[in-house]
Amino acid sequence: MNANRTELAGNPDAMKSASDPLLELSAVTKQFGGLTAVEKVDLVVRPREIVSVIGPNGAGKTTVFNLITGIYRPTSGNISLEGKSLVGLNPDQVVMRGITRTFQNIRLFNNMTVLENILVGQHTRLKAGLLGSLFRPPHVLREEEEARKRAVDLLGFFGTALLERQEEYVVNLSYADRRRVEIARALAASPKLLLLDEPTAGMNEAETLEAVKYVRRLRDELGLTILLIEHKLTVTMGISDRIAVLDYGRKIAEGLPEQVRRDEKVIAAYLGKATTSDQGAAE
Amino acid sequence: MSSISTGARLLLPDRDLRWLLLKWIVALVVPLSVFTFVWSGEEIVNNVLLGIFLPQSTQFTTSTVIQAGIFILLFYATVMALIGYLVAADTGYRGIVELWIDVLVFVIVPLLLIIITNNLLIGLALCAIIWPLYFLLRKYVRKLRHYVPPLPLESLQVIDAEKRALLMSKAAIGGFWFGMTFSVISLIADIVFYISDPNSFPLVLLAWVVVRTLLLPVAGYFLGRLGGIVALRRTLNAKAEENGVAKKTNGRVSKRRQLQSLSASRAKEEAKDLVPNDLPLRSTGAQRFYLTILVAFVLFYPVLDPILFGSGTNGRLSGYGDAGFYVILALGLNIVVGFAGLLDLGYVAFFAIGSYAWGLVGSTQFTVVTRIVVNPQIWPWFFWPMIIVAALIAAFWAVVFGVPTLRLRGDYLAIVTLGFGEIIPIFFLELDKYTNGTNGIVGVYSPYFPGIDWHSYTPIPYYYLILALIALSIFANVRLRDSRLGRAWVAIREDEIAASSSGINLANTKLLAFGAGAFFSGVAGVYHAAKLGTVSPDNFNSADSIIYLAMVVIGGLGSIPGVIVGALAVYSINLFVLAQLDTIASDPNNILHTVQQLIPGFTFGSIRNLIFGIILVAVMIFRPEGLIPSARRRRELHRAEGEAAEVGSLDAPPGSAVFESEVRVE
Repeated sequence: MNANRTELAGNPDAMKSASDPLLELSAVTKQFGGLTAVEKVDLVVRPREIVSVIGPNGAGKTTVFNLITGIYRPTSGNISLEGKSLVGLNPDQVVMRGITRTFQNIRLFNNMTVLENILVGQHTRLKAGLLGSLFRPPHVLREEEEARKRAVDLLGFFGTALLERQEEYVVNLSYADRRRVEIARALAASPKLLLLDEPTAGMNEAETLEAVKYVRRLRDELGLTILLIEHKLTVTMGISDRIAVLDYGRKIAEGLPEQVRRDEKVIAAYLGKATTSDQGAAE
Repeated sequence: MSSISTGARLLLPDRDLRWLLLKWIVALVVPLSVFTFVWSGEEIVNNVLLGIFLPQSTQFTTSTVIQAGIFILLFYATVMALIGYLVAADTGYRGIVELWIDVLVFVIVPLLLIIITNNLLIGLALCAIIWPLYFLLRKYVRKLRHYVPPLPLESLQVIDAEKRALLMSKAAIGGFWFGMTFSVISLIADIVFYISDPNSFPLVLLAWVVVRTLLLPVAGYFLGRLGGIVALRRTLNAKAEENGVAKKTNGRVSKRRQLQSLSASRAKEEAKDLVPNDLPLRSTGAQRFYLTILVAFVLFYPVLDPILFGSGTNGRLSGYGDAGFYVILALGLNIVVGFAGLLDLGYVAFFAIGSYAWGLVGSTQFTVVTRIVVNPQIWPWFFWPMIIVAALIAAFWAVVFGVPTLRLRGDYLAIVTLGFGEIIPIFFLELDKYTNGTNGIVGVYSPYFPGIDWHSYTPIPYYYLILALIALSIFANVRLRDSRLGRAWVAIREDEIAASSSGINLANTKLLAFGAGAFFSGVAGVYHAAKLGTVSPDNFNSADSIIYLAMVVIGGLGSIPGVIVGALAVYSINLFVLAQLDTIASDPNNILHTVQQLIPGFTFGSIRNLIFGIILVAVMIFRPEGLIPSARRRRELHRAEGEAAEVGSLDAPPGSAVFESEVRVE
């Protein structure tokens, strides 16, 4: 069963050297005209790690995601996956290299069914071109059949609820279900690295717990590496191997959850500068 | 089910079945009788028989008779199989009167209108006015009576072996009694004819009456079973359901469970496919039968037209040949605008490229341009490969134009394509050394096929040619729509950022859409050049692009049957309505004549674009999803107002400077 699951994510050689970084950001800077959204951020993500990026609103976390996936181009600095640079690639090329993502505001294809969304997610795995689509030779038929089966399997990762609604239009699903479909769509491309942008946003306690469980399973069962943006500190503390903290575009802290929790700069960033100046005045 | 009890049920069906039989037999026998006795159905049959047995008494050739005979067989057989299907598939929820009124409005009224006006397109055009009125009326009446439509899947049943046998016998009984009823009606009609004029009845026809009276009920029985088989294919099978349940632990969920979990709107769509069905006339199973009749009618139309409509067949066929290339243009534009959502306002450019390709190659102009002398007997063979070659040339230029322009935002893309639509015809006009400028190229060859005469006084070959081309175009469209590429196009239309982030290369996929669309316009261009025999810049008005867009929008963006109907509708309006209005206005007694006098140089033809503009605006306001919308589009346009409209198309591709200054991705 486990072997089956790992194959789903297409990560058979996830057991290679665990110390070689999978994703590496070096001095990545992004300026939008006069505004510096991200400034000299360094980040290393190793295989099978779950790394969280946290920070107050507007700290530049989603911008970092957009830089990694090619939606924005870094002003300077380098981003590389397994040693090869990603800078200058289009988002679809980044998917081909092995990184997929979800969005904070859920960007599903609303008027397509659940299955269709996941089939689109498999776009890079399928090979049928214009002629293949027209004439449907046996290998294209086989490919479509397998794609459909794989889509159902991916849905099955989340239990039977989505399986029952596989022919439903995603616009009619509940919020939590839509999040799951978006993750399934991201999984469909067999990524090495999965970027989750606030996967528990808008969820209540129970749904959040469930989300935490399946994020862990993504790493444990599917062998994925996960980089996630999260606001809820309880989630981050519980799930992450390491945490990086951004504030005003700069990385102000990084390390194990316990270390980060006690870091002064982190506390100051979340509670406001007044605290540090008070402390400074008191000292 | 022992055969004795089946036999008893056959002759004395029980009460519920009797109501069902009454409902459907009357519903179908009345329009069939109208077609047969009021229109020319019987005439066709008589001519077929006379043609076979007494060839000298009719003017029809053997091949005509055989074709007509095949049509008649197909037509009546399909209707009888249909009734088997309907009786088997109906849940009985819907009332009899309601159904009869629907059949009256949607089948009998069009038939009568076509018969009265003696013109297929005008009859249908009148229906296009009557039907919306009927819809409004029906909505009003339903509101008054507090009508509650049935829940889509209330009647969802899992069919076991016993119920299957029951359905089958219902279908067979339905077919039998329908055959019996129609046989009796025909017999009475024939007796009336015989009494009124005993001499006009040759022995052959008398023999036929006897044979038919005995044959119809029997045929009805077996054809009804055929309809039953079609119905059974669409039931939820008990055995399959069990398999679904057993596999549940492996992640498979039974179809029934899936259907029960669906939302109301989605369930309504799925319910259309299933048997038992509340509205079997609209179910997808019934659509198979309609399609069969339609295809048979279209295929054998040249043979039937003289009998159905009288003289003027050649003119009508030529007209349909002209309408046909509109359909191909609409199907091509449907790929660009309907599937991929790229607004193309210059589609006529590729149509011109296709036309000139054949115009330059397939005429004496070729010799003028290349100094190669060709044998005019052999050269027309090249029509066939040129269809593909010219289409590829059009697609090539679409890609060439697309590479720099498809990166533009939706509105700017539209303007640029408008520019193509203007520039290309002028380009051909100015290149008069090669293209003969304003005079155009004349003497364009018709295609060559041994044994077939392609000149304009026999439009039949062109008719079948365009039918073949349309069939291929539909096939290609359907294949593309339901493929990896089709999904990518819809994804781009929905949300470019999400599509790009799912691995779809925006630029290449859009280019493919543009190129595929241009391919079809190239095909239409070659056909048009050959049929018209000339290629001149007057044929390619940039305003025509708007007409093509109107076809797609009015018909239903992205919907294949929709754009076909849209193309025919626009063609009819263009040709008939406007021409008719002009004819009416030239009558000095008519009110419209004064309008014409008031404005110098006014004709209804010249305000064509104004009229189409008004129609487009009206469609966009009242029925934006088009006449026959694709399910997807109807949902897109009628979703609840509370939902935020996501920006689908991008200003600029991700990664560029323009993109970053304008879009925040969260």
